[in-house]
Amino acid sequence: MSNKPIPHAKSAAEWIEKEDHYTFHDERLWDMRQKRDEQMHLLPEWQDLREQASRLKEHTLAHLPHYLEQFEENARRNGIHVHWARDGAEHNRIVESLLKKHNKTSIIKSKSMITDECEMREYLEPRGYSVTETDLGERIQQLDGQMPSHVVVPAVQKLTGDVAQLFAKYYDTDPASDDPHELAEAQRIAARPALLTGDTGMTGGNFLVAETGTFVVCTNEGNADLSANLPDLHIATLGIERLIPRMADLGVFIRLLSRSALGSPITQYTTHFRKPKKGGEMHVILVDNGRSDRLAMDDFWSSLKCIRCGACMNTCPVYRRSGGQSYGAVYSGPIGAIIDPTFNAKKFSTLPFASTMNGSCTNVCPVKINIHDQLYKWRQVLAERHEIPFVKRALMKMAGRLLAQPALYRLSISGAEVALKTVPRFALYNYFNQWGKHRELPHPVKETFHSWYKKNRLNKEKGAEKEETEA
Amino acid sequence: MSDGMNMTARDAIFAKLREHKSPQEDAYPLPPVAVFGDCDASPERFAKNLAQMGGKLLPRKPGESIAHVIDAAFPARQNLCTAVPEVEGTLRIEDLEDHYQANKVDVMVVRAAFGIAEVGGIFLSEVELKEHLADVHLAQHLVVLLSQAELTGNMHTAYRDRSEFKTAGYGVVMSGPSATADIQGVLIRGAQGVRSLSVIWD
Repeated sequence: MSNKPIPHAKSAAEWIEKEDHYTFHDERLWDMRQKRDEQMHLLPEWQDLREQASRLKEHTLAHLPHYLEQFEENARRNGIHVHWARDGAEHNRIVESLLKKHNKTSIIKSKSMITDECEMREYLEPRGYSVTETDLGERIQQLDGQMPSHVVVPAVQKLTGDVAQLFAKYYDTDPASDDPHELAEAQRIAARPALLTGDTGMTGGNFLVAETGTFVVCTNEGNADLSANLPDLHIATLGIERLIPRMADLGVFIRLLSRSALGSPITQYTTHFRKPKKGGEMHVILVDNGRSDRLAMDDFWSSLKCIRCGACMNTCPVYRRSGGQSYGAVYSGPIGAIIDPTFNAKKFSTLPFASTMNGSCTNVCPVKINIHDQLYKWRQVLAERHEIPFVKRALMKMAGRLLAQPALYRLSISGAEVALKTVPRFALYNYFNQWGKHRELPHPVKETFHSWYKKNRLNKEKGAEKEETEA
Repeated sequence: MSDGMNMTARDAIFAKLREHKSPQEDAYPLPPVAVFGDCDASPERFAKNLAQMGGKLLPRKPGESIAHVIDAAFPARQNLCTAVPEVEGTLRIEDLEDHYQANKVDVMVVRAAFGIAEVGGIFLSEVELKEHLADVHLAQHLVVLLSQAELTGNMHTAYRDRSEFKTAGYGVVMSGPSATADIQGVLIRGAQGVRSLSVIWD
C-alpha cells in the first residue's frame, strides 16, 4: 500500500467538473438525509433510541473481551466455527485455507465493507479463486475496478448511463440504456447462474449477539440470503466491534439502522444466523485489523460504536460535493475521515480536513459518535506528527500568530484591504492561496468594522459614560 | 490454518484488548432492556407498513379458499410450490430435489411464524421452510399466510417476546419483497430475491 497522502482536494476538484454527476450525487444524498428526517419525526422516541444505542455500544466496547468470549462460546455450542484474524492478511489466509480444505474455488458474496478493508478479492483472485459480488451496487464497483463509494450505496456516484456502459461490456446489454429497471433485471439474470453454481457463500454482518451467538445481516436485495444459503459452506466476516450484549437489545439498532441510512423503516431482509444449515458448515471470522489499537485511543475509541449506516456521509456538505472516490479509502465521508487515519495516518492525513466543522455528522449519528470533535482532534494529532503539508502548516502557523495578536491582526487586515484593491490577480490567486482556488476573495471594503466602530461609537460611548457619571 | 496458529491470533487480540482498552468497565454499566414507542400490534398497522415496504395484502372474501385467492392473484403462474398443508400447489417444498428446480418456481407459499406490525415484517425460519432455506428466495413470488393472533407490536417486543430468535438456526424478517436503489437512486421492487411478497390473513 502506497503511503502517499490521498489528494482529496485535487480529486474533489476533478469531480466538481463533472457537472451531471456532481449535481445528481449532491441531490441524491440530500434526499436520503431528508427521508431519514421524515422517519425521525415519526418516532417521538428517536432521541431515546439514540441514547440507548450509544450506551449499549459504549458498554459493550468497555467489556469487549467478555462479550467476545461469550459470543464465541455460544456460537461454537451452536456448531459455528469461530476464527480470529489480527489483520486483513490473516483473514485472507483463513478464507483461503477453508477453500483449500473443502476444495472450493468460487465465492458468491454479499456486500461487506470489511472484506474490502481486508482487500480479500485482491488476495484471492490472483490465486485462482473467483469472487463474485452479488449486491448490485457492489457488483457495479467490482466490474469497474473501483472501491465502494459509500458504505450503503456503493455505486451512488454513477449515473444510469455509466452502469449501461459497464453492463454492455460484461452483460451484453444495450450500452445506450437509460432504464434502471432494465439494468437491474440484467443483474438479476446474470447473478442467478453464479449463485446457483458458486460453491462458497460469503457475507459480512451488521451485529453479533453475544447472548445467543447469532450474527445478523441487514440487506435489501435478497442476495445475502441466497449467497449464504445456496452453497454448503458459509463464511461470514465481521469486525470485533460489531457486538451487542442481548437479543432484546437488537430492536434498538434495527429500528435506527435503515431509518438513518435510507429513510426506510427497516431493510427488506433482517437475517439472523445462529446455526449452520442442515448438512452445511458455517464459519465466522472475527477481524481485529487495528480495532484493538483504536479502542486504546482516548479520543478516538468511540468511533468503534459505528453501525455503518452512512447518515454522516449523506448529510456532509463536503462528502456530497466531493464524491466517495475522492477519499481514496474503503470508508469515505466523515466516519471514514476519522477511522481511516487509524489504518494509516500518513496516507489518510488529508481526510480529517475534508470537513467544514458544521457538526451535522454528529447530529445525525444514530449511536452519537462525536464525529466532528474527532475530526478536529485528528487535525491536532496530524499537525503534531507533521503529517500535514508544508503550505497548510506554514499558513496555519502564520494565521495562529496573527489571530493571537489583535494589533498585528488589524494591521494585516488593513494591508489586505489595500492589497485586494491594488495587487494584480495573479499575485492573489496562486499556489499559496489554497482557499482561493475555487472561491473569489472578498471584495475590498472602504472601512473595516473595527475602524468604523472606533470612529463613530467608541468616542460617543465614552462621552455618554462621562455624562452618566456626571449626572 | 492450524489451530495452534489460530489460538495465537486469538490470544494476541485478547491480550491487547485487556491491556490497552481506553473505556473503563465501571464507567459504562449495562443499560436495562428498553421498549420504546408504539406497541400497537393491530392488523391495520401491519397492513399499512407492509404496503409501505412494497408488500401486498391479498383480499380474501369470507369462506374463500387460500388456493382461490392465490389463483386470482397469479392467473399466469405455472409452478406453485407449497410449504403449507392448506394449499396443494403443483409441488411440495419437501419434494424439491435441487436448487435448479426451485429456480423455476413461480409462486412459493409459506406460513410465517409471526408478523411485526411496526415494519410489516414476517418471520420465517428453517421450521416453516422445511430446511429449504435458499429455495424460498429463488422463487419469483412469495405468498405468506399469517395469523392475526401472531402479530407483535414493534422490533423491541419482537426480540423480547418471540422465542424463535433464540431457537431458530436461520431466521429472517422479510418486510416486503427484495428491492434495490443502487442505480441512480431509482427504487426497484424485485431485485435478486422474490419479486413480490403477498400476505393472506389466515
